[in-house]
Amino acid sequence: MSEKFHEQLKELKKDLLDMANLSKDMLHKSVKALKEQDNELADWVISKKGELAEMDSKIEEEAFILLTLHQPMAKDMRSLACVLKMITYLARIGRYGKDIAVLAKELSDQPHIAKLVSLPHMERIVCSMITDALTAFENWDIKYIQDFKERDDEVDAMRYSIFRECLTYMMEDQKKISRCINYIMISRYLERCADHALKMAEKIHYMITGEHIDIDDKISGL
Amino acid sequence: MVIKLLGMFKEGSENAVASENENTTSDVESEYGHIQLKKVSVFYEDDEAVKEIDMDIKEHTVTAFIGPSGCGKSTLLRCFNRMNGEIVGCRMEGSIIWNGTDILSKEVDPVALRKKVGMVFQKPNPFPKSIYDNVAYGPRIHSVPRKKELDKIVEKSLKEAALWDEVSDRLGDSAMGLSGGQQQRLCIARALAIEPEIILLDEPCSALDPIATSKIEDLINILKKKYTVIIVTHNMQQAARVSDYTGFMYLGELIEFGDTKHIFENPQQELTEKYITGRFG
Repeated sequence: MSEKFHEQLKELKKDLLDMANLSKDMLHKSVKALKEQDNELADWVISKKGELAEMDSKIEEEAFILLTLHQPMAKDMRSLACVLKMITYLARIGRYGKDIAVLAKELSDQPHIAKLVSLPHMERIVCSMITDALTAFENWDIKYIQDFKERDDEVDAMRYSIFRECLTYMMEDQKKISRCINYIMISRYLERCADHALKMAEKIHYMITGEHIDIDDKISGL
Repeated sequence: MVIKLLGMFKEGSENAVASENENTTSDVESEYGHIQLKKVSVFYEDDEAVKEIDMDIKEHTVTAFIGPSGCGKSTLLRCFNRMNGEIVGCRMEGSIIWNGTDILSKEVDPVALRKKVGMVFQKPNPFPKSIYDNVAYGPRIHSVPRKKELDKIVEKSLKEAALWDEVSDRLGDSAMGLSGGQQQRLCIARALAIEPEIILLDEPCSALDPIATSKIEDLINILKKKYTVIIVTHNMQQAARVSDYTGFMYLGELIEFGDTKHIFENPQQELTEKYITGRFG
């Protein structure tokens, strides 16, 4: 295969990392906007939806061109397959960021019903998973993704904890129901983002080792 | 005993297959139909072109050899029908056990062996004769079948080579008037006419256009149901598409051999990885 192909593949991986950074930024800033009730920041996140979709389409198109023209094998084929799967997960993570930003705006008209601790903590874990998945991808090293199951379990546990906490608030005061439903929705979005990060890790593991693994078989239909 | 085992490669005794009781020599370890290579080396004068290759080729599968030019894959292919023996200064060592017989042994008649091992080359090489005569050529020299019987062999071979529908109404026409792809399928039909068990294909599509290539590839897929196919190709995508097992050769050595899917998806040897991803070669 030509040097040109390997250059193009390198470029494609760079584009993927740019997309991943935008996606992660959208998620991070959406939770920041929620916490600080910053509508301007929420609007910034919402405005990035189109850009993310464009990056998704561009990378997909470039990957298809490389597949068609070069029919790569072995680790080159695995890299392209991984890129094609990762853009879907990254697009979804970014979109969840946008969805959280929309809810953040809705929740900005009144103070939060309690100090927001768990949701930002969930976001930090999810973003650390995305960061480490990308480091593994960039450095061709699976050591960064080896504890993803534990991290995902923690995110799952936090989601149930937030649900129970909200349940208590809702039982105390029915006026809090609509706000609490939004918090529960956000925790659900963050939990799904962790699932996407975990699925990315599985694809990166395949790219690096050639072996398919199932880090958490409870997650399906992603 | 040995003579009996070699019987299948003697003219007129093709049914003399070694029975289980007869397989008592230490050499006879391979399962019936499998081809077992043991330390096969080929020398051109002092130059070792193929180095001590050990491998098993399963019956009714397609095995592909890939590797850069000059790595010895065609030389290895020619061991299976002893064609290297026709090259001055070329000698083969080791053994290839097939149906209980070492086909590299001097007792084996290469002409009789070639009746069981058909070969198709890179460039279509039909004889300057009619389509019919090209296919009938082999059966005619191996035996003298009646016209009716010969007609049947020609029809069957052309059908198996997926060429019958295109030439059935002009069997008397010169084979030289066929397209490249048709000529190559005619050569395959010619090889099939002598009812071989193994088909060797040495770069069979390198001189063909993509449509003719895809016809040959479809044909290989059909042929493996009845024959054991061994193919040498430069085209890695073709090896990936048509073969069940792939061997990667480099400088006369078999670097890696295994399931085609594994070789192309996740090769275990760095050299294989570098070659199939185009980082060298």
